[in-house]
Amino acid sequence: MASPIKSLQVKKFLSMLPDRQARFEAGAPTLPPGSDQARVIARALHPVRQYLRVSAVIERGADCKSFELVPDPERGTEALAWFGAGKYLTVFETIEGMRISRAYSISSSPKQSLEGKYMLTIKLVEGGIMSRYILDNWAVGTPVEVSAPSGTFEYQPLRDAKKVICLAGGSGITPFLSMAQAIADGDEDFEMTLLYGSRNWDAILFRDELAAIEKATDKVKVIHVLSEKTAGRMRKGTEKGFITAELIEKYAPADEPYSVFLCGPQQMYAFVDKELEKLNLPRKYIRHEMFGEFHDPASQPDYPSDVPETVQITVTIQDETKTVTGSTGDSVMAILEKNGIAVPSRCRSGECGFCHSHLLAGKVYVPKNMEYRRMADYDFGCIHPCCSFPLTNLVLNVPAAR
Amino acid sequence: MRKSYDVIVIGAGNGGLAAAATCAKAGLSTLLLERHNIPGGSASSFVRGRFEFEPSLHELAGIGAPGDPGEIEKFFDRMGAEGEWVRDESTFRLIVPAKEGDTDTFVNEDGVEVSVDVRMPIGFEAFSRKLDEIVPGSYESSIAAFRIADRFFTALDQIEDGDFLNGGAGAAKVLPDVMRMTSHTMKEALDALGMPKKAQDIFNTYWCYMGVPASRFDFMYYMCMLHGYVKNGAGMPRKRSHAMSLAIDKVIRDNGGDIWYNSEVTRVIMRGGKPAGVVVNGEKEVYGRRFICNGAPNFVWNDLFDLKDVPKKQLQMANARQIAVSLTTVYLGVNKTAEELGFKDYSIFIAPDSDSDKQYEVCKQYGSGYCIINCMNEAIPDCSPEGTSILFLTSMTFGDVMQGVQPQDYKKFKTKVAEDMIETCEKALNISIKPYIEEIEIALPPTFSRYLNTPQGTPYGYMLNMWDSMIPRMLQYMKDQPFDNFLFCGASQERGDGYGCAYYTGEKAARLTIKAFKEGK
Repeated sequence: MASPIKSLQVKKFLSMLPDRQARFEAGAPTLPPGSDQARVIARALHPVRQYLRVSAVIERGADCKSFELVPDPERGTEALAWFGAGKYLTVFETIEGMRISRAYSISSSPKQSLEGKYMLTIKLVEGGIMSRYILDNWAVGTPVEVSAPSGTFEYQPLRDAKKVICLAGGSGITPFLSMAQAIADGDEDFEMTLLYGSRNWDAILFRDELAAIEKATDKVKVIHVLSEKTAGRMRKGTEKGFITAELIEKYAPADEPYSVFLCGPQQMYAFVDKELEKLNLPRKYIRHEMFGEFHDPASQPDYPSDVPETVQITVTIQDETKTVTGSTGDSVMAILEKNGIAVPSRCRSGECGFCHSHLLAGKVYVPKNMEYRRMADYDFGCIHPCCSFPLTNLVLNVPAAR
Repeated sequence: MRKSYDVIVIGAGNGGLAAAATCAKAGLSTLLLERHNIPGGSASSFVRGRFEFEPSLHELAGIGAPGDPGEIEKFFDRMGAEGEWVRDESTFRLIVPAKEGDTDTFVNEDGVEVSVDVRMPIGFEAFSRKLDEIVPGSYESSIAAFRIADRFFTALDQIEDGDFLNGGAGAAKVLPDVMRMTSHTMKEALDALGMPKKAQDIFNTYWCYMGVPASRFDFMYYMCMLHGYVKNGAGMPRKRSHAMSLAIDKVIRDNGGDIWYNSEVTRVIMRGGKPAGVVVNGEKEVYGRRFICNGAPNFVWNDLFDLKDVPKKQLQMANARQIAVSLTTVYLGVNKTAEELGFKDYSIFIAPDSDSDKQYEVCKQYGSGYCIINCMNEAIPDCSPEGTSILFLTSMTFGDVMQGVQPQDYKKFKTKVAEDMIETCEKALNISIKPYIEEIEIALPPTFSRYLNTPQGTPYGYMLNMWDSMIPRMLQYMKDQPFDNFLFCGASQERGDGYGCAYYTGEKAARLTIKAFKEGK
């Protein structure tokens, strides 16, 4: 029996190439579309850099200011990237020859970004180079360079409970202020109970703004948790002491699941994480904003002994190789920046992986809670310099700063 | 000193990685430039919480069986790259939930009323017998299709060696069946083989891996792919695709090649009507003698060249060709095991209709009920921490679905799309997923546009329509290249998308480049 495929004509093949040729020749000799809505959205939300200017400075008590930032069309930024409430901007500065960057949560609302305004609220960090510099130098008109809005500390309705207990400490209020305003604006839909830890009534950041949001929407409740023992009367809606398991339970719904979001200083995470353990919540319901810059690796129990005080790092970026000296108490990234070498950086907490680099020789220490590397990174000697601390001299290949 | 290389490779997707590794191994001074901070393009991974996700890979057909290495394993061996794969000895499960008015339905093992629910095994014989069980009378045509496909691989080598034809007439004598099969669609060929329509639909389930439905997909190429999956089953990189890409990155470095990450080519420098160098990140000039480009031609011409420097034929080609379908993927880390969730299969294709052309049509909008769900733990049991599992849900979607969506609406839009896809799967499998989501990421065409830099975010290159299918692309490869020192590789080339396909195009472009150097050109 003849194979049934013999019924298919071979000669059809002979017309394939001429047909293809003819179709090409019929194509317009013009540039094909250089954009489409997928690209428009991708570029609008993820610009490589945003060039801004300070348009207003708001004093917020001692050692804290808010900076309103607007696009600077002269340097190429026509409009601000929209963002989901909770995201951060990485700010880039050159300070006395050092190329420094830091991540700051956006304290303004997504809606305001459409009106051309971001707000960053910066509180002085003890010994902090960047916060000191910004507080001393940024004034109306100062040019500012930031990343696209980044990070994953956002409300996600498919993942998070409808009710969220937000735990803020000090300037860790910034992403929650943005989320609360987004709820009031109708851009986010969840019920927020904010337990906000401050030293005392006067040290509360955004007290009036939070009160105004509470008035505007019944989905946001704010409870101030004041740590200083004051002789004064208890104000309505405040708690004394620290954010404990008992306090969280007092405000949490008893009969339905709830999520807990945390943002604050590292000491607060250390304290509250222990408290949360008592509540035995499924892991999916606990979300931390990033840990932030890690200091003092030698304080960690698993930090090795006999580490020299200083090391040499030989780093290649594109076609330039330099050797610099730094302290083993600094991260690889900090050492490079202090030596005037610009490196890619975003979160500075190990999480985003933007600084992903190849370690060609030497050893580093990575604190346990900063480990977000991919599995294969361990096999191929890849590190995140922002949370890697040199233990020996190093040879590194680092991507270009962008 | 002016920086200069023998070869500059633009883009470290799978094609660019293969090209740079092959050139570096041949002793050419090689620079690989990549706009992202890591290699691979689609072949990567990302971490959320305690989960590491695979961005786009479903399964690799190029991983063979012990003693019978597949195309990708052979490529890794040639490169001297380390690879570790996990084999999955199943093909797919196809479920078509019952619709109102369907007559031929039944209630499946999950208690869901369906019109189709099949699990296809590996092995040509087993696959064909199973097909026959479901659709009596389909065995002969199925086994015949696989037997014909056996011969295609020899034919592909012959085409590659250049002795296949001059214009096609010679080939007609040598391999008439190949000519028949590559010039006819899946539908035409399976009809000729006498395969019942219902069996054809099951046979065609993998159409979406290349984005071409049965009425437009040439029989030869589809069968090469299906043959690959059915012969030995599929493979997955144990430590995600990031491991594969880093392995090739290492080959490049170990062989003296340079790789610059976060280094986007923003301009091609022309000298005497030919590319002579590139501008990186808008500031640094690097010169080269030959170039291999892993970029999508449409954007390469727009972003890197002056219009006057683009050959007219390239513009005509770009406008004549069709941008292929894009993707929507939902990545889930869930706090239940695969067993607790009720998964028994790695790949489940859920479709509103078993006909591939109808499935293709519904990719033009969201909410269509077409969704592939993969439970990674069914292929790699320890891919996530104890007590958890990794799921990913995929819909083919045309980039056009983003029309009218503004950046500020995108977050809400994609959450709604994801919810709809998850509910489609929950319903079709009669399981519960939503309460257990611990981590979620949602990728729509803008996400793929951001990471792959392709028109409409397609990972598939140009649509492999019949007139622009694999064999015509192979036969006209050199004629289709823009300059004699600038060759394209990647999904826009002969084989469209796929890891093995992209490695092939990169290695081929590199071989031609190496040959040109040897010939002193």
